[in-house]
Amino acid sequence: MTDTAPLQVLIVEDEALLAEELDCLVRDAGLRDIGRAMSAAEAVELACTLTPDLALVDVHLKDGPTGVEAARLIAEDCGAVVLFMTANVRRLPEDFAGACGVIGKPYSEQAVRTALRYLETCLRDGRAPGPPPLGLSLSPRFAVLWGGGLAAAG
Amino acid sequence: MTDLTDARPAVGPTDPGARALEAALAEKSALLHEVDHRVKNNLQLIASLILLQCRRTSDEAAQAALKRVLERVNAVATVHRRLFQGDPLQFDVADFVRDLTGDLAAAAGRDDLEIVLDLDHASIPASSAAAFALVFNELLGNALRHAFPMGRAGRIAVSLADTGSACVLTIADDGVGMAGHTPAFGSMIVKLLCQQLRAELQVTDAQPGARVTVTVPMTMGDKHS
Repeated sequence: MTDTAPLQVLIVEDEALLAEELDCLVRDAGLRDIGRAMSAAEAVELACTLTPDLALVDVHLKDGPTGVEAARLIAEDCGAVVLFMTANVRRLPEDFAGACGVIGKPYSEQAVRTALRYLETCLRDGRAPGPPPLGLSLSPRFAVLWGGGLAAAG
Repeated sequence: MTDLTDARPAVGPTDPGARALEAALAEKSALLHEVDHRVKNNLQLIASLILLQCRRTSDEAAQAALKRVLERVNAVATVHRRLFQGDPLQFDVADFVRDLTGDLAAAAGRDDLEIVLDLDHASIPASSAAAFALVFNELLGNALRHAFPMGRAGRIAVSLADTGSACVLTIADDGVGMAGHTPAFGSMIVKLLCQQLRAELQVTDAQPGARVTVTVPMTMGDKHS
């Protein structure tokens, strides 16, 4: 890794305390948290204005189960890599709405730390350093793109 | 989450009784999903609360205590992440053990410890899952924290066997053995929950190291539901 600019991360989560703790984990991992959204509209607007490298997106937001559509727009229109963080892993569409993968809730602090480190490498190098860590499942498209191998979703 | 409607017998779509049954099953499935979702989110909320408080605590002993509590909450949270992935009334112990071991090992950050898993497929009633998870968490956490003082490398073997009537969990390490520190609260958790599970607990000084075996009956009889 020669590029040292920290990855910029957008957090899309309607539970304030979860978002706060995620912020801490993002900063602990040496990444930069650049914004926080609680609804789909807010998330898409922030993503397109701030152009984060990575967006952490919950499925259930303040305005309902709108995270999947928000993720699709963030990935397609705003150019960010999206990672779902949800208790609804099995309700995700087969194509993950363009997201790179999912961490199931309830996640552990350790799982998020490990996943962020893994994704940072994937984003910088354009390829995975190995199979995804326990707790992180890659979407079929990104598993091929990054060569990280398929992990069983769920 | 298991979709209960998937398990319905094939009946003619024109049968009004079958349609009503199908609707009732779909509603039950949706409600179960909703409850499952709330439990998962609330467990995440509890974990976040503990972590946030831990970050704002400067006292080392208080921090350590909060981390122990967080670890126990995580063990229960891991159960809920894994529940409903197959039969909603059964809990796959091997998958759980693999999952939590990975988490605890990563959190321990000890590259000098080798953890070997030898896991038979075994399941216990879902109603026993949280108690089993807390017992396993204490035993493995104990081995990771106390069996190998900094600088002492070693090996922890975790095995799971299905005897047909019981699920036998063994955690064996080649560390400092029974002379090692045994935290009172952790032992109390293990003792009480083994009683609750009607499980047999065996602790032996393996010289070197310690060996703990927990034999959990695969059915709970009529005492728990």
